[in-house]
Amino acid sequence: MTDGPVLVVGGGPAGASAAASLAEAGLPVLLVEQRDALGGAIHRQPAPGHAHHIRLPARHRRNWAALTARLSTTAGRIEIRTRTIFLGVDGQGRFLFDDRAAERVFACRPRAAIIAVGAVETIRPFPGWERPGVMTAGGAQVLLKETGRPPQGPILVAGSGPLLLAVAAQLAEAGNPPVAVLERGRPWRAPGALAQLGLSGGLVGEGLGYLARLAASRVPYRTGAEVTRAEPQGDRLKVVIRTGSAEDVVQVRHLLVHDGIAPNRTGIPLPAPDAAVPVLLAGDGREALGADAAILDGRRAAMQLLARFGRAETTTPAEERGLSRARAVQTALAQALHAEAAPPPPETLICRCEGRSYAELAALPEDASAREIRLMGRFGLGACQGRFCGPMIAALRGRPMPAAAPPRWPLRPVSLAALARLTTDETE
Amino acid sequence: MTAHFYWNGEPVPFRPGETIAAALLGAGIVHLGRGRIFCGIGACQGCLVAMTGAAAVEACLTPARNGLRLSPLAEEQADHD
Amino acid sequence: MPPSPSLHVAVVGTGIVGAAAAHFLAASGARVTLLDATGPAAGATGASDGAVSVASKRPGPMMDIARHARAFYVRCEADGLFRGLFHRRSTFLVARTPVEAELVAQHGADLAVAGERVEEIGRAALLARIPGLGESVCAALEIPDDGHALGYEITERLLQRSRVAIRRDAPVSEIVTQAGRASGVAIRQEHLAADAVLVAAGIGSSALLGLGDILIPRKGQMAVTDRAAAGRPAIDGHLMAASYLAAKRGIVRDNAHIGLVIDPLMTGQFLIGGSREDHRDDHATDAPTIAAILRDALDLYPPLAERRVLRSFAGVRTASRDGLPILGLHPHLPGVAIATGFEGDGICLGPLMGACAARLLLGVPAGIDLSALSPQRFASAGGRP
Repeated sequence: MTDGPVLVVGGGPAGASAAASLAEAGLPVLLVEQRDALGGAIHRQPAPGHAHHIRLPARHRRNWAALTARLSTTAGRIEIRTRTIFLGVDGQGRFLFDDRAAERVFACRPRAAIIAVGAVETIRPFPGWERPGVMTAGGAQVLLKETGRPPQGPILVAGSGPLLLAVAAQLAEAGNPPVAVLERGRPWRAPGALAQLGLSGGLVGEGLGYLARLAASRVPYRTGAEVTRAEPQGDRLKVVIRTGSAEDVVQVRHLLVHDGIAPNRTGIPLPAPDAAVPVLLAGDGREALGADAAILDGRRAAMQLLARFGRAETTTPAEERGLSRARAVQTALAQALHAEAAPPPPETLICRCEGRSYAELAALPEDASAREIRLMGRFGLGACQGRFCGPMIAALRGRPMPAAAPPRWPLRPVSLAALARLTTDETE
Repeated sequence: MTAHFYWNGEPVPFRPGETIAAALLGAGIVHLGRGRIFCGIGACQGCLVAMTGAAAVEACLTPARNGLRLSPLAEEQADHD
Repeated sequence: MPPSPSLHVAVVGTGIVGAAAAHFLAASGARVTLLDATGPAAGATGASDGAVSVASKRPGPMMDIARHARAFYVRCEADGLFRGLFHRRSTFLVARTPVEAELVAQHGADLAVAGERVEEIGRAALLARIPGLGESVCAALEIPDDGHALGYEITERLLQRSRVAIRRDAPVSEIVTQAGRASGVAIRQEHLAADAVLVAAGIGSSALLGLGDILIPRKGQMAVTDRAAAGRPAIDGHLMAASYLAAKRGIVRDNAHIGLVIDPLMTGQFLIGGSREDHRDDHATDAPTIAAILRDALDLYPPLAERRVLRSFAGVRTASRDGLPILGLHPHLPGVAIATGFEGDGICLGPLMGACAARLLLGVPAGIDLSALSPQRFASAGGRP
């Protein structure tokens, strides 16, 4: 064990909570964040000088204010490095980072690491999902939070999950309500799951607030409806919508898609709480339970680490209950919104980076290994390194894509020149 | 003139602190060559833009800077299909 | 060659050599079972550059055999087997110091003696061919008849064409013998009967045949960049630094040595390698080694500063103690043939070596002089085989 700092990767709610908890216990912390400010996707801060147009529910604002207060109290023990992208762990245990401002990769050997890199959105592919004008709902939301400006022109929001409502309501708030919100699931047909959700308090209140906002802007919320195709038409997208057996077409400038979130685990080291350099995961990057749970989970990881270092620290039963409640909510949501997936048409792109279609995926041998899927199929070989096509392939083939072993780095593409300028904290 | 960078030689205004992606979208630019702004968090690599003399960067992660000369990845550099 | 209707061959290893052997055995009417501990091209075949290069070979039998092997690629391209997968391209041997220039000149002379076309190319002419080349490059030779193919694509093509069934996830633990000759192989609890066994399992051949003191794993770390061009190589040839020649000629033996090659792939990406780490059989890559490779690559070809690294990875080459491959019938165990030890030359040599192994098993002459590769050379030294 070294005397170096504990590394916390990711400055969202989980990472900030973990960093504050560790620093409060007296440990030095190195907190790295890929963007220029902490907050994560949920608390994405407006660019300086922009008014804060997008107001989160009060609960989230209070939570973030409390976290930032704790971080500033313990600021002496926390080194924050922004614009710094985690590149993974090399074969000799170095944690690697792309310092975008310095245009240089640096390596460090922390005493322990808590990785809290959040979630990525899941996308169910359809012909045209790769077109310009199609964005993830979460991606559009992050941009909206930064600038307060909604994308211009007609917008359609489609897919599944509560984020659709949040984004649509925020677009309306910012002055460009979407033409419709399409929810693939049919929540009204799952009253048991809805009743379960009703017990969760805050979230349902939040959802109802969004629905009210949409109603006020006359934005239809259509359930059991999904996008089956998008194609360019002039500077618009012609979007085909299927509701049961009926089809209709809308023309929009932006199509925002989203089918839930999953932990961002591509290339992330496996948790190893008992290793010489313990590695723990926290927040949506461990289990996608949402922002409230992420704060609890960051603290849980910090406490687990402190216990590992011989400190008598534990999470409180109330915190453990909070995590279980969040899990129950996610389970109920999944049940309420469940919709069977039909295989997409053969021409549907699966890997956008390499331009590989579902037909080409289906042509691979049934028992193809991950290596064959990559090398022969050329799936997951592109710049996104399988972050989007990996989950699609897993869903379409009905089994997870085995990860490359050992984990590959860099887990994000990195400037060759920056990597050549590698610095390490070692005396070699 | 306000702060601006160049996209295909045309000035695109931005407010300090904005990302390249936010400024492009604000200017109504959706087509980044064959790329596009998609995930907003650096994961999908769809919004790569070329910067003269340096490696491509994700528009959604990179703060806009005054005078930057940016362009879509050359057709030949974009991922083919 | 005459078909042997009853011959059943178990081929252990589905790299480029095993796949080629299986293809040519099947083409001659033999029944083939192709086995791999994981899957096709899972070893060095799938983790290598695509140099079908005579330019890099050590003078002597390797250089001669490589010339036959490259000619075999040309024939297979022409007859359709490798159509679209093998491309002729030049190798540029480049020197960045006077000492390196001497080495390159010596190597060029050796290539010429072996019958290879070698052309001196001045700095200005080279710059016209490869704009942006580093200022440190002071001398270069062009080897115009070299080529390029990706090992895993060749392997895939051979498997498709031969329609030989592959058994994935089938680790062979033992060669089973009966009355002093091979009668099959053991896969976990299963016995697979075969009339003959070809061991083409790379470093896995070591445990199977007891070659621990003859075969050496040699790890190579590499990096792959994003595209600098689409659907065509970004530069007009394979850049091979004198540091690579120094390693191949046995002048430098050092696990920290970088034998630099910059391989422009058909996708427009660059594959940049590599380290030469003896006795390392893991597939881990470390940042200081990759950074050292990239610094050297930037010195040789500065436009790489506009590229991004998408992946680092490592392959394990299987080298023999004396640096030559091992190809031939087992000296003590009838019914077994060995094809391993191709080090970093397996992509170039693989298809021909597989074809030769098939001929040996079928009892027909290989057609080229393979005596330097015979396993017999180790038998007399007291080691097994």
